Amino acid sequence: MRTFTLHVSGMHCASCPMLVEGELTDLPNISHATASLKLNQVEITGDFGQKTLAEIVNDLNVIMGSHGYTLSSERQSHQAKWGEFKLAAPIALGFILFFIILQKLGLVNLVTTSEVSYGTAFVIGLIASVSTCMAVVGGLVLSMSANYAKEGDKVRPQVLFHLGRLISFFVLGGVIGALGTVFKIGVTGAFILSLAVAIVLLILGLNLLDVFPWTKKLQPTLPLFMGKHVNSLKQINHTLTPILIGTATFFLPCGFTQSMQIYTLTTGSFISGALTMSAFALGTLPILALLSFSSLTIHTKAQSGIFFKTAGLVVLFFGLFNLYFALVSVSLIPSIFSF
Amino acid sequence: MKSTIIATIIGGALVISTLILVQGRSSDQAGAVPVNNVTIENGKQIIDISAKGGYSPRLTKAKANTPTLLRVATTGTFDCSSALSLPAINYQKNLPPSGLTEIELPPQKVGSVFEGQCSMGMYGFKIAFE
Repeated sequence: MRTFTLHVSGMHCASCPMLVEGELTDLPNISHATASLKLNQVEITGDFGQKTLAEIVNDLNVIMGSHGYTLSSERQSHQAKWGEFKLAAPIALGFILFFIILQKLGLVNLVTTSEVSYGTAFVIGLIASVSTCMAVVGGLVLSMSANYAKEGDKVRPQVLFHLGRLISFFVLGGVIGALGTVFKIGVTGAFILSLAVAIVLLILGLNLLDVFPWTKKLQPTLPLFMGKHVNSLKQINHTLTPILIGTATFFLPCGFTQSMQIYTLTTGSFISGALTMSAFALGTLPILALLSFSSLTIHTKAQSGIFFKTAGLVVLFFGLFNLYFALVSVSLIPSIFSF
Repeated sequence: MKSTIIATIIGGALVISTLILVQGRSSDQAGAVPVNNVTIENGKQIIDISAKGGYSPRLTKAKANTPTLLRVATTGTFDCSSALSLPAINYQKNLPPSGLTEIELPPQKVGSVFEGQCSMGMYGFKIAFE
């Protein structure tokens, strides 16, 4: 029996140490493993025969590598890679400028009718997706996309998110239409939701910047009881989470979504309610999909660093945007800027 | 590293100046064409505000100590400005996509500023009572 302390890179989440431990103790020759997120290391005890430390590390990396972790006997220093901001900062600022200019174009004036056909609902969805609602739903979509891309899963969680969103808009739209009551959140409710979204975005944004190592400890994660193994947890985290977030977007504070829900209320039937909300959700799909699959532009390691930093800056901006307007909406701070 | 900081500062300044520019332009427009949105009918002051992609006019000057009716017009409004919130009188309502919504305001003190917002906070308007 021998005990080693190895350094781990790739532990980016609060549940990662559990996953690393689970994978390692599954090996027949390892009797004990304790991983620490804070120190980025894992202590393993086991029967390794006559192998040298380098050979053991190599063997373990064959298994752990497939899960996105790399073990080493030497400490890998954390590199902030400030140089990546040279490209990331201008791209992010360009995007933010574009976003602000979009708000000023008066796109809402394209809707002239107050009768909502499925076509109008679709157009309202299109406009909503580039409106200030982008700061809420778009921010979530972008941070989710970047975070899953970090774990090497670029497509499936995004597809599931959009499926979850479309299905929830269909079903809940139908329910509103059939019941004739609307889910009302009020000022305080909207404030709490906006504040929660802002905090999540700020944490995810900071985390994406990958500049401050401590931010990864704040990353929201699913409860650990769901599974100790990389595959089972990854399965839940990469399947159920995106569907749930997609479903939850129905309730997120966005003026357009709310007024469509109120309109849906007047339709009085399940099917027309469901179709109206679906048409609206389909209208928001092109822009949201663009944000979702933006991570597909990453082809090289160098690009990925720039992508994550750009996404981090944009998500941080959206977080601050939500925080500011949430505080304004309850008059906690004076409104010095409004659209 | 140094150039990054410089680039960020320049970019930040650019964003802020765009905001100021855009902000300035829209208030200029409101100032250049004085909107006569305050009328008096039978001793009652009526203030007209239109709500679509924001509120217009953003700043209204009205008479203090007068019973006031706020009349908000929506014309195919589906954005946040249809979710009107008037924190001072604890009012929150989702306006119809098109139509006029009338809201009674108690007489306001001289020098007070009455604020209205959309429920998410990003659109707003002010009424200064003089």
